[in-house]
Amino acid sequence: MGFSDIVWMGLIIAGTLYLLYRSVWKKKGHCAGCDSQSCVLKKYKM
Amino acid sequence: MSAESISEVMRDPVRPAAASLSEEKRTITVAVAGNPNSGKSTLINAIAGTRLHVGNWPGVTVEKKEALFEYEVKLIKLVDLPGTYSLSPYTQEEIITRDYLVHEMPDVIIDVMDATNLERNLYLTVQLLELDIPVIMALNMYDEAEKKGYTIDSNMMEEMLGVKIVPTIATRKAGLHDLLKAVVKLVDDPSSHHPKKLNYGEDIESAVSAVEKQLKDSYPSLAEKYPLRWLAFKFMEEDEHVQSELKISGDVLLIEDAVRHLKKAHEEDMESIMADARYAQAAGLTREVLKRPELRKTDLTEKIDRIALNRFLGIPLFLAAMWFMFKLTFDVSKPLGDWMNALTFGPFKRWAEALVGLIHAPAWMSSLVTDGVIAGVGSVLVFVPVIFAMMFFITFLEGSGYMARAAFVMDRAMHSIGLHGKSFIPMLLGFGCNVPAIYATRTLENQRDKALTALLIPLMSCGARLPVYVVFIGAFFPAYAGTVLWSLYVMGIALAIVMGLIFKRTLFKGEAPMFIMELPPYRLPSFKSLMIHTWEKGKHFLIKAGTYILAVSILVWFLLNLPWGVESKKDSYLGQVGQVVAPVLKPLGFGSWEAASSLMAGVIAKEIVVGTMGEIYVKKTGEEQSAVKPAFTADLIEIGTSFTTALRNSAENVFSTFGISSLSTKEDEKRSGLKSVLRTTFTPLSAYAFIVFVLLYMPCVVVAIAMRQEFGTWKWFGISFAYQMALAWLMAFVIYQGGTLLGIGG
Repeated sequence: MGFSDIVWMGLIIAGTLYLLYRSVWKKKGHCAGCDSQSCVLKKYKM
Repeated sequence: MSAESISEVMRDPVRPAAASLSEEKRTITVAVAGNPNSGKSTLINAIAGTRLHVGNWPGVTVEKKEALFEYEVKLIKLVDLPGTYSLSPYTQEEIITRDYLVHEMPDVIIDVMDATNLERNLYLTVQLLELDIPVIMALNMYDEAEKKGYTIDSNMMEEMLGVKIVPTIATRKAGLHDLLKAVVKLVDDPSSHHPKKLNYGEDIESAVSAVEKQLKDSYPSLAEKYPLRWLAFKFMEEDEHVQSELKISGDVLLIEDAVRHLKKAHEEDMESIMADARYAQAAGLTREVLKRPELRKTDLTEKIDRIALNRFLGIPLFLAAMWFMFKLTFDVSKPLGDWMNALTFGPFKRWAEALVGLIHAPAWMSSLVTDGVIAGVGSVLVFVPVIFAMMFFITFLEGSGYMARAAFVMDRAMHSIGLHGKSFIPMLLGFGCNVPAIYATRTLENQRDKALTALLIPLMSCGARLPVYVVFIGAFFPAYAGTVLWSLYVMGIALAIVMGLIFKRTLFKGEAPMFIMELPPYRLPSFKSLMIHTWEKGKHFLIKAGTYILAVSILVWFLLNLPWGVESKKDSYLGQVGQVVAPVLKPLGFGSWEAASSLMAGVIAKEIVVGTMGEIYVKKTGEEQSAVKPAFTADLIEIGTSFTTALRNSAENVFSTFGISSLSTKEDEKRSGLKSVLRTTFTPLSAYAFIVFVLLYMPCVVVAIAMRQEFGTWKWFGISFAYQMALAWLMAFVIYQGGTLLGIGG
């Protein structure tokens, strides 16, 4: 395994952790019903 | 006026607001208020083309939502307020609605009335009129009122109240132009609005005048900020919410003087006196304007309810309806699920491999894509049809009005655990996803009910657990698929009742408050509405697949391949952690590191259990790939023809559910290799114990965050985590060890 492989792996893991943080903890990838129920106040601007 | 005469039908939603308009024009703010289930969200959706959630049960909207659009060169903002029966500050919905109206002072209130329940709806109207905000009444569901034989003299009602009344049928978009025209006219020419001051009787009126005067003299700034008559009523009613907000609760002597004789004369508290006065207004108005048929015919809703709400038949019918829903879900989705499976692990996987080869990616990256992303995300994606089928049937039950009956028939059982039927509504929402269900607990009256309901919601089996059930049921119980799935959902409800009983005797001592539940009429939901809401519910499953299921699949691949060059997955980091946990699960029949690792990954989201298994067992399943790879065009033709066959089989299965032998009982040999591997590592008994464990073990991370947000503490999640882990282990232990002792499915 070369240096570039390690860099790529590092980038992929960092990106994955960010995606996980963003989607779970920041609730960007929310759950069924959130935008039609009450998870956050939604402002519909068409 | 007849339903046919209601003016033109709004063919298309109004024009969406252009971004540039918002700066130049004053926005007309219109609050849409009304009783629960009077059709507020349907009305807004019909006007503005939004997709606010609509359900034929009370309490669907629990927070205010907005829609902005342009109408006749005016910019209109509709604010959908939660449904309330009154403006008393007892429930979260009432507080949100009242605070918004009093503090934000919208330009107009559209009071959406259910024309079939005039008197009850007028009780809220009477209170809205106290606020001194221009009101326009949308007499909604006018067609249903006519079907019942009701005649409403809307002209007389207009005259008596002094407000514009527009008959509407929101589901058919009828009367909406008239409604918007009335709004614009009212804003353009406020002098056209002459609301009548409702007279509550001499004694109340003289008392309120005295309080108004006192407030005006002593607190002139308040008189400018709030509607004075409303404020006077609130002080007379000793409304603690208003008193504490305005911080003049100590200065109540002046009010005491004014209301003393009223209390003495009526021998009641002021709140009851005022409620009686308002009800008298609502009843009087109804008597004047509504004509009911002499002989009231029994409508369909009553006929169905005689059976559906029968004391002895209610719960068995609810269980039967659930069983039928799960059977239909399985039967309809199985051919499409098989098709998705063949597509994901056939052409999609081949194309991904070809793409990775094309860019000369290193071998590890190729493995990450095929053995990580496709095996992980793909294992979950094949359950898209089953998720959508389940959401479709749940949406149908919601829209038809049966869900409200389900809550009603469960009322007695809920009372035994110190809750009432209303708590069952958030729990039923939990069948879709536990997260909005946790938030829906805010519709409950007190903190005790909210916390207890939130603790029980994770026992309701959400859609994310479905892929795990489906893969195990498909591998071990294909002939009894619907029944086994039903048993899991019923077990969740039964254990919620048992845990509720335990909590009632320990953490939440006390009796459940009485609650009168409204039962909306049965309605056949429109196909369009069903499709929209099924998509709204199901699309988040796709979003999850592209976000944290993708992320966890990649992380699991790394954990299965680190330390780098590891020979066996068992020796990988994930394998090592799995081996540490596995002994705890051994008495439950699934003490392998593979099962332990999958369960740990499933903490992020339950469907990841399947994705992780897909990755762990990928080598074993990969071997069955054909050596000869078909051409791209051949793949496309095969995808098209197999999809047509899957659709036909799904349609046939709908009929087979009604008695003819079900296709779902036939085992498809080409089905995912994951099932074959599972058959070598689990027995039917340990498989059932495993899915019961998945049903019950700790709520996922997003539910944990929702609990923290809703209650402002980790305490309730901590309790939920502890009791659920113990319960999951205990139930799986009893099933596996009990079954082994009895010689069942070993």
